[in-house]
Amino acid sequence: MEDDKREVLLKVDHLTQSFKMGRSEFKAVDDVSFEIRKGEVFGLVGESGCGKTTTGRSILKIYDITGGSIYFKGQRICAGVRTYKDAIKAARKELKTCTDESRRAELEKEIEDSRKEITKARYDHKMCDKEYARKLVAETDEKYKKLIAEAKSPEEASKLRKEYRKERSIASKTRLITKIQMIFQDPIASLDPRMTVREIISEGLIINGIKDKEYIDERVYEILELVGLVREHAGRYPHEFSGGQRQRIGIARSVVMRPEMIIADEPVSALDVSIQAQVINLLNELREQFDLTIMFIAHDLSVVKYFSDRIGVMYFGKMVELTTSDELFAHPLHPYTKSLLSAIPLPDPRSEKKRTRIVYNALAEHDYSTDKPSLREIVPGHFVHCNDAEEEKYKKELGV
Amino acid sequence: MANILEVKNLKISFRTQGGTLKAVRDISFNLERGKTLAIVGESGSGKSVTSRSILGILAGNAIVDGGEILYDGKDLLKIPEDEMCKIRGDKISMVFQDPLSSLNPIVKIGRQITEAMLLKNKGNRRRARKEFNRTLSKLRKNMMLAKPGEEAKIAEMIKAFDSYNMSALKEETAYNTAYSYADELHESIGDFLFLQEKGQKVNVKFELKDCAAKLRRTKNRFLTKGNISDLKLEEGAKLPAGSIDSCIDKFVDELRSARTVYRLAGKDKSSAIDTVRDILERVRELVGGLVERETPDFLSIGYYEYKHSAQDIESLDTAAINKKTSACLRDEFLNEFTEYVDQAIRYSHEQSIGKKKEILAELDSAKTYYEGAYTKSAAKSYAKKLASGVENSIDELEIVKDSYAYTFRSSLLHAIEQYFYFTKHNPKEEARFARQSKKREALIARGKKVDWKVVPKRVRDLAELREEVSKVVATQDERYRDYIENDTNGNTAARATEMIEWFRHQASQAVYKINKRIAKEKAIRLMKEVGISEPRIRYNQYPFEFSGGMRQRIVIAIALAADPDILICDEPTTALDVTIQAQILELINKLKAERNLSVVFITHDLGVVANMADDIAVMYAGKIVEYGTADDVFYDPRHPYTWALLSSMPDLDTKEKLDAIPGTPPNMIYPPEGDAFAARNKYAMQIDYEEQPPQFAVSDTHWAATWLLHPDAPKVEIPKTISDRIERMRKKNEAAEAEA
Repeated sequence: MEDDKREVLLKVDHLTQSFKMGRSEFKAVDDVSFEIRKGEVFGLVGESGCGKTTTGRSILKIYDITGGSIYFKGQRICAGVRTYKDAIKAARKELKTCTDESRRAELEKEIEDSRKEITKARYDHKMCDKEYARKLVAETDEKYKKLIAEAKSPEEASKLRKEYRKERSIASKTRLITKIQMIFQDPIASLDPRMTVREIISEGLIINGIKDKEYIDERVYEILELVGLVREHAGRYPHEFSGGQRQRIGIARSVVMRPEMIIADEPVSALDVSIQAQVINLLNELREQFDLTIMFIAHDLSVVKYFSDRIGVMYFGKMVELTTSDELFAHPLHPYTKSLLSAIPLPDPRSEKKRTRIVYNALAEHDYSTDKPSLREIVPGHFVHCNDAEEEKYKKELGV
Repeated sequence: MANILEVKNLKISFRTQGGTLKAVRDISFNLERGKTLAIVGESGSGKSVTSRSILGILAGNAIVDGGEILYDGKDLLKIPEDEMCKIRGDKISMVFQDPLSSLNPIVKIGRQITEAMLLKNKGNRRRARKEFNRTLSKLRKNMMLAKPGEEAKIAEMIKAFDSYNMSALKEETAYNTAYSYADELHESIGDFLFLQEKGQKVNVKFELKDCAAKLRRTKNRFLTKGNISDLKLEEGAKLPAGSIDSCIDKFVDELRSARTVYRLAGKDKSSAIDTVRDILERVRELVGGLVERETPDFLSIGYYEYKHSAQDIESLDTAAINKKTSACLRDEFLNEFTEYVDQAIRYSHEQSIGKKKEILAELDSAKTYYEGAYTKSAAKSYAKKLASGVENSIDELEIVKDSYAYTFRSSLLHAIEQYFYFTKHNPKEEARFARQSKKREALIARGKKVDWKVVPKRVRDLAELREEVSKVVATQDERYRDYIENDTNGNTAARATEMIEWFRHQASQAVYKINKRIAKEKAIRLMKEVGISEPRIRYNQYPFEFSGGMRQRIVIAIALAADPDILICDEPTTALDVTIQAQILELINKLKAERNLSVVFITHDLGVVANMADDIAVMYAGKIVEYGTADDVFYDPRHPYTWALLSSMPDLDTKEKLDAIPGTPPNMIYPPEGDAFAARNKYAMQIDYEEQPPQFAVSDTHWAATWLLHPDAPKVEIPKTISDRIERMRKKNEAAEAEA
C-alpha cells in the first residue's frame, strides 16, 4: 500500500491510562496501540466515556500515562512505568519461594533490567522536550557556524550572528510537545473570557520566547485571515463572537504554533449544521496548506467518514476495530462497530423508518473465558480485537 | 385526525438594549394527536422561543405581539398563571437542551423524578373524578332529554356505569401492580443468572432478599389464582404441584433459607451458589408462567360483580371468566347503554347545530357592527352577549373541544381591549418619543455628550388592531359555517364508543393513587425504560454523578413522569453520541406510540428528524419557510434554505466539498425587508430583497415561502449534491423493497 511509504509521525504503543477511584482503579484506556502517518487524518470514534478524549489528552501529556509509550517523530515523549513495576513485583514474589540458583539469578537480572527501564522511561518522559531542544540547538549551531564562516564581510557576519542568537534562543526554548496542538470541544469553555483574541492567539508564541511585538501581531493577523476572521477581531473578547467564530479562534490558536499534528477533540459537535460544514471545510483547507496530520475525535460517524482516511473504533478503553474508513463502512467486522453503524441517522425518512438498530452486549457477544483476545490483523490494514475462534469467523466473513 | 395543539399567527419579540428583536414573526402550525412535528433551523431562528411560548416560560423581556396557542379549549397565551401551572409539566412537558441546567444539583435523582408525581397526584385524581362526574351528569341530562319518559332506567344505568367503572379500575390497578412485580422478577432473575454465569460481580444476598420481597407481592386475586397445572410452563419445569399461592409461600421460605446458607458458607461458596441458582431458576419458571397468563377483562368482571355475585366466577379460570362476564356485560348492559349514549350524542349534536344556525345570523350582524364605529363599553357588552351565544351553542358532549368557540370570549374581549388601550396609549407614546428626541437633539446641539438613547416607541397600528377585532368574529362565523356545511350527522356510533373509552381513561386517572413506594417503583421503571442500568443504585445519586447521556435520559424520564399529552423536545440529542442518540430517539418514538403522545421535536440536525417526524417545519429568522411531511421535505425540498441545510450535512457517500451556508443569520432587531434568507442565498433575485415571499403551495401537505415557486420565476435546478442523494436514496429504497 502506498500509505506505508509515508513516515510514521505518531506511534502509540500499548497505551494504558488509569485513574484512581477511591481504592480501586479505573482503566480509561486499556492497552491501545496505533500509528498515525504523516499527512493523514485519523478518526477516533466511540460512545461517550469510552476513552477517546483521554487518549487524545494522554498524547498531549495532559495526564501522566500509566503504561506503554508514545513516540512522536521517533522521539519517545510519554512513557509509563506500570508494566515494569508489575514485572518487578511478580519477580520478587517468585524470588521469595524460589530455591533454584540459576532461576534466582535470572529473576534478579530481570528486576535489574526493569529498574533500568523505569529510569529510562522516567528520563524520557521528563526530558523529551529538552532532548528535542538540544537537537535543534545543535542543528542551528551547525547551520550558522557554516554560514558565519562563509560570510564575506564583517557586517554580514555580525548580522548573521544576531540572527543566530535569536534563532538559537528560540530553538533552546522550543518544546517538542508544541508540535502537537489541540482543538477543544467546547468553544465557550476553552477560551479565557478575560483575554482578547490577540492575547489568546499569541500566548503560545510568547511562551515560546518570541518577544518581537510587530512580528507577533503580523502572525496573529495572518492566522485570523486564514481562518476566515478579520483583523479587527483581534481586539475583541470571546463573548462577542458566535459559536462558529469561537471555534475558529480555537483553531487559530492551535495553528499559530505551526504544529505538525492537531488533535481535534469533537470540534464540531457543539455547532449548528451549517456552521459545522464551514468548520470542516476550514480544517480541510488548513490541512492541505500546512500538510497537517489530524487526529479527529468525534462521535458523529457521517462527519468522521467524510473527513478521515483511517478510523479507529474504541469501546470501553479498548480499540476494537481499526481500518481505513471505506473498509470500515463496507465491511465492519466487530459486533460493536456494526451496532455503531446501525445507529447513524440518515436524511432518508423511508429507510429510516425501517432501520433496526443492532444492540451490542459485550457479555453475550463474546466468550473470552478461556481464550484471551487481542488486536489482530484480519486482512492487511484491517485490525480487529478478537480471539482465535473469532479471527477464523471474521476471516471467513471477508472471504480470506 | 384532531388537532391537539394549534398555533395561529404567533408573533413574539424581545425588548433589548439595542431595540426590539423580532424573534418569531407570524408563524402558524397544527399538531395532530399522536404525531410528531419537527421544527428545524439554525440557532437563533426562533424555534426554541416558539416552544417556550407554548409552555408559557418566556423570558421577562419577551412581548407577545399577537397570535394564539390553542390547547384543550384554552388559549395558552391568555390564561392566568394558576391555570398554566396545571398544564405545564402535566399535560405539556419539555425536554431541555442542556440536561445539567435543567436538573437540581443538590437533590437526588430519585426525588427529582418522583417529586412531581407525588405533588400532583392528589390534585390529578380529584380533577379526573370531577371531570368524570361533570361529563357524566351532562350525558345524563342529554340522555333524559333524548329519551323522555325513561328517567328511572337512565338513572339506574348511569349509576351502574359509574360504580362498575370505578370498582373495576381499582381491581385492575391492584392486578397491574402484582403483574409488574412478576414481570420485573422474571427479568431481573434472568439478568442475575446471566451475569453470574459469565463470572461478573453480583450481589447474591441483595438479589435473594429482593426476590423474596417481590415474589410475595405478586400475590393477587386474579394473577395467582388456581393451581400450578393451570400455568403454561416451559419444558422440564421443576415446580411442585398444588396451588400457586402455597407454592409462592414455599419459595419465599426457600429463598430465605438459601440466603442463610449463602451467608454461613465459608470462603468456598460454590455449593451455596448452586443452591441459590437452583431456587432462582425455579422462581423464574414460576413467574414466567404468571407473566404468560391471560389478562382478565376487569370492566366486565366489575360489572358482573356489581350485578351478580362474585362467588360464581371464583372457581372458573381466567379465560372462562372473561368469556362469561364479557358476554354478560355486552348483552345486559353495554349494547343498550351505547345505544343510549348514541342517542344522547345525536340529540346534543342536533341541538348544537340548531343553536349554531341561530347564532350565525347574530355573528353576521356582529361583523358589520365591528366594522363600524363603536364605543368601548358598548363594544364590550355586545361582545359578552355574543360570546354567551357562542358558548351556548357548543356541543356539550364533544370530547375534542372546539378551542375557537371556547376561547371566543377571551379573544374578542382581548382584541377590543387592545384596540382601546392603544387608541389611548399611542398619542402618549408619540408625545414621549418626540419629547425625548427633542431633548436629546437639543443637548447634542449644545455640544454636550449624550450617553443615553431615546427609548424606541412602542405603538401599534390602530387600523390593524381594529381589523383584528372583526377578524375574530369573522373566523368564528366561518368556522361555524364550515361546520354546518360539512355536518354529516352520522358517525355518532363511533363517537359513542370514543366517549365510553374516554370515561374509562378518566376513571383510571381517578383511581390511580400514588404513595412514596409506588412512586419509587414507577420512577425505577421509568429509569429502566429510558435505558439507565442499575436504576436502584442510580436512584440515590446526584446529577453530577451521571454522564451527559445519562443526564438527558433522566430529564426525559422526569418529563414523562406525569404522562403528558404533548412532549416538547428542544434539541434533546445534540450533546449525545450516536448510539445514545439512536436509543433516545427510539425511546421517544416508542413512548409516542405507546402513550399516543404528540411530540414537538426541535433540532438543527435533519438526519435526526428523518426518523422521527411526520411533519417538518423549516424555520429561518422567525418564519416558517417550508412546511411539509417528512417525505415532502426530504424527497422534494423546494426552499433554497432547505437545500442549503441538506447539502451542508455530509452523509456516508459524500466525497466532494461541503456546501457551507456563507455568512450568519441576519440581526433580527433590524429584520430585512424582503426574504430574510436573501443575503445568504445564491439563487436570490431582485424581488427577494424587496418583498417577502408568500406561501406557495406545492401539494396539499407541502408549501414553501420562496419566490422561486412563483410562476414567473426562472427555473432553478436543485443543487446537484441533493438531487444525486435523493436519486441514491430512491434506488436504495426500491432495492430494499424489491428484496422484501
